[in-house]
Amino acid sequence: MSFYLRRIAFYLITLWAAISLNFLLPRMMPGDPASIMLGKLRRAAGGRPLTDEAIQTVRLLFGADKTTPLWDQYLAYWGQMLRFDLGISSTRYPYTVVSLIADALPWTLVLVGTATLISFVLGIVVGGWVGWKRGTWLDHLVPVTTLLQSIPYFWLALVLVAVFSVQLGLLPIFGGYDPFSFPGGPEWSWAFISSAAKHAILPAVTIVISSIGGWLLGMRNMMVSTMSEDYVLTAEAKGLRPSRVRDRYAARNAAIPSLAGFGIALAFVVAGSIVMEQVFTYPGIGKLMIQAVQNLDYALMQGVFLVITLTVLAANFVMDLIYGIIDPRVRTHG
Amino acid sequence: MSYRKFIVPIAATALALTSLVGCSPASPAPTEPGATAPETGQPAPARPLRVWAGNSTPISVDFNPFHVDNALHATFGAIYEPLFFFNELKANPPTGLVGESFELSEDGLVLTVKVKANQKWSDGEPLTADDVVFTYTHPYNKSDHLVSAEATDATTVVLTYDEPQFTSVPLLMGNTWMLPKHIWEPIGDKWNDQVNENPVGSGPYVVSATSDASYSTVGNPNFRDGVPAVSEVQYIGLDSNQSSEDMLKTGQLDWVGQFIANPDPVVADGVIATMNNQLDPTVVIACVTVELGCKGPQTDPAVRQALNLAIDRSAIAEKAFAGLTGLSNPAMVLLPRDEQWVTDATLKESPQQADAAAAEQILVAAGYAKNDKGIYAKDGKALSLDLFSPDGWTDYNDAAKLISEAAGKAGIEIKYRTVSEAQYWDPVGQGDFQLAMFGLTQSQVPDPYQVYYEYYTTGRTTATGDWPNGQNYSRYSNKVVDAAVKKAAGTNDDAIKKAAYAEVQTEIAKDLPYIPVVLNASQAFFNVRDFTGWPTQDNLYANPLPYRAVASAVVLANLEPAQ
Repeated sequence: MSFYLRRIAFYLITLWAAISLNFLLPRMMPGDPASIMLGKLRRAAGGRPLTDEAIQTVRLLFGADKTTPLWDQYLAYWGQMLRFDLGISSTRYPYTVVSLIADALPWTLVLVGTATLISFVLGIVVGGWVGWKRGTWLDHLVPVTTLLQSIPYFWLALVLVAVFSVQLGLLPIFGGYDPFSFPGGPEWSWAFISSAAKHAILPAVTIVISSIGGWLLGMRNMMVSTMSEDYVLTAEAKGLRPSRVRDRYAARNAAIPSLAGFGIALAFVVAGSIVMEQVFTYPGIGKLMIQAVQNLDYALMQGVFLVITLTVLAANFVMDLIYGIIDPRVRTHG
Repeated sequence: MSYRKFIVPIAATALALTSLVGCSPASPAPTEPGATAPETGQPAPARPLRVWAGNSTPISVDFNPFHVDNALHATFGAIYEPLFFFNELKANPPTGLVGESFELSEDGLVLTVKVKANQKWSDGEPLTADDVVFTYTHPYNKSDHLVSAEATDATTVVLTYDEPQFTSVPLLMGNTWMLPKHIWEPIGDKWNDQVNENPVGSGPYVVSATSDASYSTVGNPNFRDGVPAVSEVQYIGLDSNQSSEDMLKTGQLDWVGQFIANPDPVVADGVIATMNNQLDPTVVIACVTVELGCKGPQTDPAVRQALNLAIDRSAIAEKAFAGLTGLSNPAMVLLPRDEQWVTDATLKESPQQADAAAAEQILVAAGYAKNDKGIYAKDGKALSLDLFSPDGWTDYNDAAKLISEAAGKAGIEIKYRTVSEAQYWDPVGQGDFQLAMFGLTQSQVPDPYQVYYEYYTTGRTTATGDWPNGQNYSRYSNKVVDAAVKKAAGTNDDAIKKAAYAEVQTEIAKDLPYIPVVLNASQAFFNVRDFTGWPTQDNLYANPLPYRAVASAVVLANLEPAQ
């Protein structure tokens, strides 16, 4: 049990450090990010004075005047974080950063998350199989998938759209759902969900195609090296069924390094897939991030980065727990 | 306002980027997923007209008519209307929208407007002269020179000014959005703080649905001319030009205004028609006035004159803009529309071929001499200039590259680079630049006054370090131009105006704070099979660009579903 307690304590401290760093960074930057942001908001507001609350929020996020003690600012900043108040975006004035992220996040989580999971599971299963059958024709799968991975993503996506959407007319060209059937936006109905699922096929397929090669290659090689381990030989010598040797002895151990990589991949799911969102006009976080960076919208940038930080931590935490189950050794020595 | 038009070039670059792929299918697919038009000759069921006006996703709902840069396209024209529509493509008199007629007094001080009778706002309340008075006295619209605004009866408004308004008519009559008093008066000074989800306007459409991906409008039952024949219009958001091109080809999109370098495959089967009107000058902007803080060799007019002769405009038009642009002119007018305002025939066209020898002559005459690297120099300083354009705007970037090459042949070194969009506007706004690729907005009416006033007068600029009030980012300041523009503003006599404009044109063609390159293309694509009534070359009643304020609504109100 102390393993889990230690992990939880570790992540709480990391979380505190990450948010504190978010507080300190703009205050250590040269110049005065708060007044730059206020200037941008004023321009977005058409030169009109901003409300006192809006100014207060920006000051808390990016640095108050020198007279307020840093400690007071820090406490107020935490109050702000706990109320989920991340300020107003200057690029999409007068929308709040939290509402923008809340609208975009589900799309990214579902699509990129599912695609990453599919890619990982497929890569591990097929990679394990190819490793198990090493030296046969199945080995050709390795260069084929790595070749697919090396194709520039946007090119792959455009070719698939040209074939499946434009030539054959089977799949939609753009969007997260059909805006012509649902002009009022997302709703809870089977028709909508099936529309969203149909729109997710091409983006998901492109993500899977362009990322499966890495998982497959890694798993296959680990499988080959695990199979030369003594305990696999022992298991075979004991006369265990080949499938049991493959799944419980070889594959389980071979998957451990990939699993660590999966934790990191999962964490970056939230950053979205910027090119995919651009090519397919798919809603998501990546677009917010690129717009924020292009327009130097500090509030939106900080909000997006905060969400990414939080998910990186959460994903790592979950992976740590799963790791503890798959590899019991870490529970005692970790 | 200059930000609004940049939506299109951004989108244009997405296309240019994707067109590198060059392996799109040779023939457009005949199938039409999503389109509901029947195959046979039966009447098409009423379906929404689908538009992409250049919005990217996610769409932020904003129908506030005061948010001129952020509000969605339907806000201006389809929902809120000005009194009159000024067609920038023709020298015709303005047509009445909310207004019936207007008359400016001899001295230019009193503007009498007749409003059409028996009009209603989209919520059913009557639209009267009181609303018009409210609009012109609203703090956002109120001119410093407005003395009084009175409704003398239910359909007559008298606006009195303390300065002649001859040149302000397009702004006042064609660009001021009529506001329902009963809605905006209670809002008071909070008018800027809302996104106005349920706008009440006088235009042909009202908002029916909004989402992150699109917004829809339906015919306004209280519209003065009755519900428009195309009763539903849906505006979608797209992030890539390729998507829009694909959707045009597969019949999923009916109206688009975007740059397509090779429009032939799109219009091949006759469903989609295209129109390309060249209006807005693409220029090289220079920071010119040393007294206002500009630095660099480009502050010497001789350098700009040499550059003007050194660049190869025909090559730029072909290689950077796919031959879709129009010819620029140093008088900065739109020809043939503004023909009557150009006195000096040599100012009707910029040189189309490079003339390095002539450029070098100008430099030599100005005291420059070639150094050992073959670059002209004066007082030990070589002619080396910095030129930038925004990242990804490939047409601008290619043009800049060609300009830099041509200048090199005339002994002028131009170091060309691209910057991110944020890094583009800050130096241009604050005057911290030498040369940049830039776009001017053409005057809305057949009179170049707006261009001369906004881009060339001292009153519309400021010292470097601050953003100018107007559009004069080049920091151009010339007493002759200022006086001539002022003279033109104060008269209604065409002969005096023409003489004043001639003075302006001579000066700006000599000083070249904006070196004209081409007239930028603005391509429109529209579905002529399912909808009729689009503008044609013979009947250019409005510019068929879905992102153009007012003109887009005039087109929509004129369309009919095909039988």
